[in-house]
Amino acid sequence: MDNNLAPHLDELTRALENVDENLIKNELEKLLSYRVPVEEAKRTILRKYKSNVLYPKNIGNLKANSKGLEINGRIIDIQNKTVNVKGENVPISSGIIADSTGACYFTLWEDMSLNIGDALKIKNAYTRKWQNRVQLNIGNRSEITYLSDESLPSVDEITRQNKKKLFDISFSDIYVNSIAIVVELYHREVNVKNRKTTVLEGVLADETGKLPFTSWTPLEGVDIGKVIQFEGAFVQTFKGVPSININESTSLEIVDSTENLPFTYETASDTSKPVPIKNILNKDGMFEVSIEGNIISLRSGSGIITRCPTCNRVIFKNKCRAHGTVEGYHDMRIKAILDDGTSAITVILNRELSEIVYGSSMYEAEDIIQNTLSQDAVYEDMRRRLIGKYLGVCGNSSNTDFGPTLVAKSVWVPDGSLDDRVHNLLKRLEGVNYG
Amino acid sequence: MVEREVAQRIFAKEFNDSTLNIDPGKQVDNNSIYTPNFLITPIGTKVNRVFVVGVVTEVDNIGTDNNIWRARIVDPTGAFVVYAGQYQPEASIFLSTVEIPAYVALVGKARAYIPEDGNVYVSIRPEEINVVESYIRDQWLVDTAELTLDRIDTYSKAISTELKGSDLYDYLVQNNVPFDFAEGITLSLGYYHTGEDYIEELKTAIKDCLESIDVESFETSSDEPDIEEFLIEIMKDLDEGKGVDYGELIDLAQEKGVSEQTVEDAVSSMLSNGKCYEPKIGIIKIVS
Repeated sequence: MDNNLAPHLDELTRALENVDENLIKNELEKLLSYRVPVEEAKRTILRKYKSNVLYPKNIGNLKANSKGLEINGRIIDIQNKTVNVKGENVPISSGIIADSTGACYFTLWEDMSLNIGDALKIKNAYTRKWQNRVQLNIGNRSEITYLSDESLPSVDEITRQNKKKLFDISFSDIYVNSIAIVVELYHREVNVKNRKTTVLEGVLADETGKLPFTSWTPLEGVDIGKVIQFEGAFVQTFKGVPSININESTSLEIVDSTENLPFTYETASDTSKPVPIKNILNKDGMFEVSIEGNIISLRSGSGIITRCPTCNRVIFKNKCRAHGTVEGYHDMRIKAILDDGTSAITVILNRELSEIVYGSSMYEAEDIIQNTLSQDAVYEDMRRRLIGKYLGVCGNSSNTDFGPTLVAKSVWVPDGSLDDRVHNLLKRLEGVNYG
Repeated sequence: MVEREVAQRIFAKEFNDSTLNIDPGKQVDNNSIYTPNFLITPIGTKVNRVFVVGVVTEVDNIGTDNNIWRARIVDPTGAFVVYAGQYQPEASIFLSTVEIPAYVALVGKARAYIPEDGNVYVSIRPEEINVVESYIRDQWLVDTAELTLDRIDTYSKAISTELKGSDLYDYLVQNNVPFDFAEGITLSLGYYHTGEDYIEELKTAIKDCLESIDVESFETSSDEPDIEEFLIEIMKDLDEGKGVDYGELIDLAQEKGVSEQTVEDAVSSMLSNGKCYEPKIGIIKIVS
């Protein structure tokens, strides 16, 4: 088989100069193992890697862990600092670079004075993932040249061009424009550099979803139920979900004529409509999203656990990783795998929600352990009661290295009334048969 | 992080009609440790993990050391065959102790056994198995009907394009069909050549499933279920674990003004729709 492959492999490596030969070989063998015909397999591999080679990248399409990138962009924000690398103070700059397709954070590992507004061509940069975001790294092998100012849109245009619905806002956005309704609002006093400042925090919603927001400037007239339109708001990460940050440079106005909007206060604040789990997995993180599915497995670590009284870490045998031997306290949680036939996600329930779902209090569960003298008894009992059951949950989801996870804020038993659904499905079957 | 394989909702008919098994483990390939084994059904569903709710009707202890359990889990379209061996100790214990019949929820991996004669025997290797209430079975039927119908629609659309191979795959992916399903349809089309006949067959099976639920929900409006509920109450009172003597049941019902004929009709209807069964002749027991 290998000998027959050689000419094809040659052809591919010639076409994809910058791609590692072993990688191509592995890909090819993998496709062939699926009994994909050789010509098809070659086509697939070419398609997959060609984009890596041919096109100079737009900032909006950058993916983590690519190298040899060439981009044109304008500096939107920059800060200079020094970091300690192996005992040496190294000056670096970090900030935001953008073009008409998007913006991304960058780090410049060279001592070079760049200014906000500079239009640059950067060759041979690479990307990494940093705090869930793609970050562009400009190292000592990169080449930076200045471009003429007209070749890129202005700073103002760039920060005000990205209009999105809340559902579509992700970590790959840095600045966004949107129109949404305030459904929650709190005032919080914070100390910044010994001065008291009031921060507004709350939740925005539209017909596609909800996102938390923070404002460091007072917002005249903004209250629950008001629709606001904003431009150039900053997207940050807040507990793994995107959050909208409004500051002095954000332009914001209250929308008075709300008749033509696709949402109202009632429809936007209602998050009880479940979404297919596969839609969540495409997103880095989502705020207050609802799903329904079957509990198809319970992960170990469900049941009664012991936590460190100082740091709340889960501990075993009263030994905390950070605080040594401690007198732990009991807690109860459920880590369930919920699957709705489109995909699966780990759902984490705290003690209060676990007690509801499990149907017994933590004290009753502790009794089970005492009576059986087995730590696993509660876990086993939970599995017996819960596996196969339907569960609805609402909470924030995140997609991290630990896999997709949703931390539940509320739980419910999905509506079991089937008459309408059966009726609709039968209609659908008939429609196809006779129509 | 390797993404968890979704648990497909699939009826026994579609599952058992599958003969195309993709087993990357058979190929020498270092990358394949994360590439799971999967079954491609006649309409292109790529099945690795399944979630099934049905009635367990048979459990047999087979194998030389008596350590393999074979069970049949039945839905309205057919039966899933389940094998639990020494590496599925919890499922084995469950199957060895479960009372038959009972509604069970099963999560497991699709397996295919292909002996020399070229036949393909598909089965499920359990990961989780548990007793559930009957309403979960009904909900599963509706979920599965809906998802299967969605897949049929996508498959029908795929064959109507008359595309093949990677052209079809590209077309499907561009039309927001998930990668796995696009791959499954492309592979299945080249293998089964499934046409309208089979799709109609599958649709009829789905219809039967849905109607089996509808019948029950219509019954709640007639007076029949009142008698059934009444009998179930009596049986719960009488049952001390081994079931209820049929004669005793009739006597008690007659005392409360229900004729022998009505009880007989109700019991035979309950026997046929699986709400109760006869562990021994003359003994009736409710399916819990």
